[in-house]
Amino acid sequence: MRRLAHWAARLYPCEWRARYGGEFDALLEQAPLTWRNVLDVFSGALRMRISNGGIYGMGEAAIVPRLLNLSCRDIPHGYELESSIEFEREDGGRTLSRYFCREIDLGDSYLTLTHNSLGSAPAQTILICGKKGEVDGEFRTDETEMLVLHPSGTVQRTEQTVKTWLKHRIMVDRLRERLRNGEAAEDIFRQLRAASDQPAAF
Amino acid sequence: MSDPNLLVLASLAEGEKHGYAIMEDVERFAGVRLGPGTLYGAITRLEQRGWIRPVKSAADRRQPYGLTAEGRRHLEEQLSGLNKIVKTGLKRLRTV
Repeated sequence: MRRLAHWAARLYPCEWRARYGGEFDALLEQAPLTWRNVLDVFSGALRMRISNGGIYGMGEAAIVPRLLNLSCRDIPHGYELESSIEFEREDGGRTLSRYFCREIDLGDSYLTLTHNSLGSAPAQTILICGKKGEVDGEFRTDETEMLVLHPSGTVQRTEQTVKTWLKHRIMVDRLRERLRNGEAAEDIFRQLRAASDQPAAF
Repeated sequence: MSDPNLLVLASLAEGEKHGYAIMEDVERFAGVRLGPGTLYGAITRLEQRGWIRPVKSAADRRQPYGLTAEGRRHLEEQLSGLNKIVKTGLKRLRTV
């Protein structure tokens, strides 16, 4: 049951996990995990993904996402990934989500910069400096420092221990390879969406 | 009364607590068992609104939270509103 709850916790958006992942995992280790609580983790992840206008969400009324752009560029010790996705809402309106990520692997540590926007909400920029820790199965325990750079000019700093899901890393590497090989971004996007339910399928 | 935001704020009015301590406290004073996902959904919202803030913790991964001044003000407003409803409801029940 506990394993299932921890797996469900991986379904939260990665930006959310970067901020709350460590403490949420600690709660799951301590709380009595009944079926009701495991389902609550599942539905919490779903709500976080679709919460309306939230910085971690993708728009409550989003129905069909349409990929406008997906590109990847290799840089020394890392890569840059950029995407634009449009969501058609139930009221017929459209919400645009833009995402940029630059990840640099420094051997025993790494730097991840993300910059994303959703609709008319102010864009959010996050810089994560991580020190790689011990690997346990599909997870690695990292010490991270996250800086959230707010549009107001203020910086929110959080230090925590985070469990990083290594399969996510493998999926990104496969995505980069497929884009390099000239595969159509639309086809890859379709498979990525399916893979959010079954990561092994990607 | 089962609004998770209000329950978390009411729990933190007593002092700083981490997630599990909030869960236990809410069950004790309100009889509501908040699930982990529901609890952290509320914590995320409340932190985004500036009503709670993470506070320095010991070495373990559990993160305690405390009320901000704005959070305390918001809780007071909400509770006075509820208090008014409760008083009115009880008064009307007694007069019927």
